[in-house]
Amino acid sequence: MGLPGRGLAGGLATTFRTMTRRSITQQYPDVSPDLPPRTRGVIALLEENCTVCMLCARECPDWCIYIDSHKETLPATTEGGRERTRNVLDRFAIDFSLCMYCGICIEACPFDALFWSPEFEYAELDIRELVHERDRLALWMDTVPPPPPLDPGAEEAKEIAAARKAVAAPAPTGDRHGEGAAR
Amino acid sequence: MNAAVTVVFALLGVLAVGSALLVVTTRQVVHAALWLVVALGAVAGCYLLLRAEFVAWVQVLVYVGAVVVLLLFALMLTKAPIGVSEDLDAGLAQRVVAAMVALATGALLVTVLVDGFSGEVIDQGATGGAPAIGASVFRSWVLPFEVLSVLLLAALVGAIVLSRRDVPGAGAADSVAGGR
Amino acid sequence: MSVLDLLLRLVLLLACFLVLPLVVGQIEHKAMAHMQSRLGPMYAGGFHGWAQLVADGVKFAQKEDVLPAAADPWVFRLAPALALLPYLVVLALIPVGAGQAVVSADVGIFLVLAVMGIGIIGTVMAGWASANKFSVLGALRAAAQLLSYELPLVLAAASVAMAAGTLSLPGIVEAWRPWWLLWQLPGALIFLVAGLAELSRSPFDMPVAESEIIFGAYTEYAGLRFALFLLAEYAGIVVLGALTTVLFLGGWKWPFLVGGLGWLWTLVKTLAVAFLVIWLRVSLPRLREDQLQRLAWAWLVPLALVQLMITGVVRVMG
Ligand code: SF4
Ligand code: SF4
Repeated sequence: MGLPGRGLAGGLATTFRTMTRRSITQQYPDVSPDLPPRTRGVIALLEENCTVCMLCARECPDWCIYIDSHKETLPATTEGGRERTRNVLDRFAIDFSLCMYCGICIEACPFDALFWSPEFEYAELDIRELVHERDRLALWMDTVPPPPPLDPGAEEAKEIAAARKAVAAPAPTGDRHGEGAAR
Repeated sequence: MNAAVTVVFALLGVLAVGSALLVVTTRQVVHAALWLVVALGAVAGCYLLLRAEFVAWVQVLVYVGAVVVLLLFALMLTKAPIGVSEDLDAGLAQRVVAAMVALATGALLVTVLVDGFSGEVIDQGATGGAPAIGASVFRSWVLPFEVLSVLLLAALVGAIVLSRRDVPGAGAADSVAGGR
Repeated sequence: MSVLDLLLRLVLLLACFLVLPLVVGQIEHKAMAHMQSRLGPMYAGGFHGWAQLVADGVKFAQKEDVLPAAADPWVFRLAPALALLPYLVVLALIPVGAGQAVVSADVGIFLVLAVMGIGIIGTVMAGWASANKFSVLGALRAAAQLLSYELPLVLAAASVAMAAGTLSLPGIVEAWRPWWLLWQLPGALIFLVAGLAELSRSPFDMPVAESEIIFGAYTEYAGLRFALFLLAEYAGIVVLGALTTVLFLGGWKWPFLVGGLGWLWTLVKTLAVAFLVIWLRVSLPRLREDQLQRLAWAWLVPLALVQLMITGVVRVMG
């Protein structure tokens, strides 16, 4: 404690010091904000990569991804070959009025079809407009930034590590133990 | 006094008397206290016109600023409903007696004042400012002044004793003697 | 003093009365914002939101004037005026420069203190007439606060009056010497603290403690009447600053730039005190009711008496 009123003087000093410093307010509509890398603004869909595996829709905690599809049969490419079926996407929509930006769908997608975009200015006057259909989700792809460099000392991306190992020592196929040991 | 001052003085007097009447006749407790503000303010104005500047401002500081605020404070602390309180009424006999006592007191005061000061003329040049008051209080009236201050001190000590709860034999009294 | 001269002074006074509180309010907006690492208003008027309070005034004027059904209409309507007018009177008595007061009175300091005490009646009236228990509580707190802090305020002012040997405000400034800053320092601090308490400014804002009693006596007010109460608060800061300047900081006196520009010093010092008031508001937490009363009776009153004694001794010896 010490002298009486030291606490009061300390408080006064703190506020005065703060006043002489730059304030941290962002002048948002006038000056666009300086967003950190990997900002979660909106989810973009790269339709070409989507196989309609439905993993994202099933993993989404609030069930706000809507996917409709049908099966299409492709004629055999070679004479006497088997016909192939594949899933064709009819509808892909994300309801951003429900989405909580957890990013689970993006993590879950095994085919790199979903991406984070930092765009955040998509407020609407009608809540129903917040359901972004596939065309709108596809448009967001243009705003997806290139992936930021890894943090120094971070583990290498899995596929790159695997590829490098494959180049260094072509292992017999089927042996998948080495991969686990690299962790 | 010149004519304008006389007129204003008379108006202030009417205001003081009128609001004083309202103080005792209104059936709303807080309105009574507020009319008291007007009455005391008008009296202060009269003092001012009588060149007793210092007394006028003491009147405002002590009576309007402190006593009335204390009064309002006490009213609100106890009970001060908005609107008419029926129990503020008094019977006819009580009213008559009260009016008679008031008239008698007024008559007595007026007689004494007229007897003592009639014919005296206020010197327009000299103001009843602080120097004049100070000189007369601390020269000719110093003894009464001191006696009064001892009296107030006694009242102060009494109030403290009454309101303390840790003194044996005192305390329990809920009604604190307001001394002023 | 001719009629024209008086008229000019009155117009100037009114202008000051309407503009200075807004200036203080704007300083409060901006200083408080920066002390909290914010920017404060930035849009109104274009340059750093200078016209924010003008915009606020327009907004207040457009609002509905609500009269609670159970309220006492006359008292309710009169209260804001009674809260505001005393400060106008006090401002008229402040000598801004040598011989430059709108009205001069022999017992100026006394008059000022007397009139300032009236403002509280406006608050008490407002609190009572609103027919709202929180308002009554606020009014009670304000009245209790005023009753306790009036004494140290008057005693501190009496000390300066004693030192100067006069009750007139210009007289006090004339008699003021720089070393009084030290001699009357306790008095100045007591005056400022007690003045803050009378204005119900933080850290003495129990009467309007929003977390407990909404906005105290002003809870039921809206529109222009509410704006009048706000104006009264800021006019109170201006008056407190001006009075502190005149009584303790030497008014228009300064080592240089005296002559005709003395009023500038009065203004600068007044705004400096106003800044201090704002700074205190930003930095200090609110005092509890019992702490508030203890501060007044156990610290300020004895200190003021000691100051009075020191002043007396120095006067008699010197
Ligand atoms: S971010 Fe989360 S909540 Fe939003 S769509 Fe993806 S999984 Fe669902
Ligand atoms: S997880 Fe990826 S690939 Fe599968 S449906 Fe969702 S977006 Fe398409």
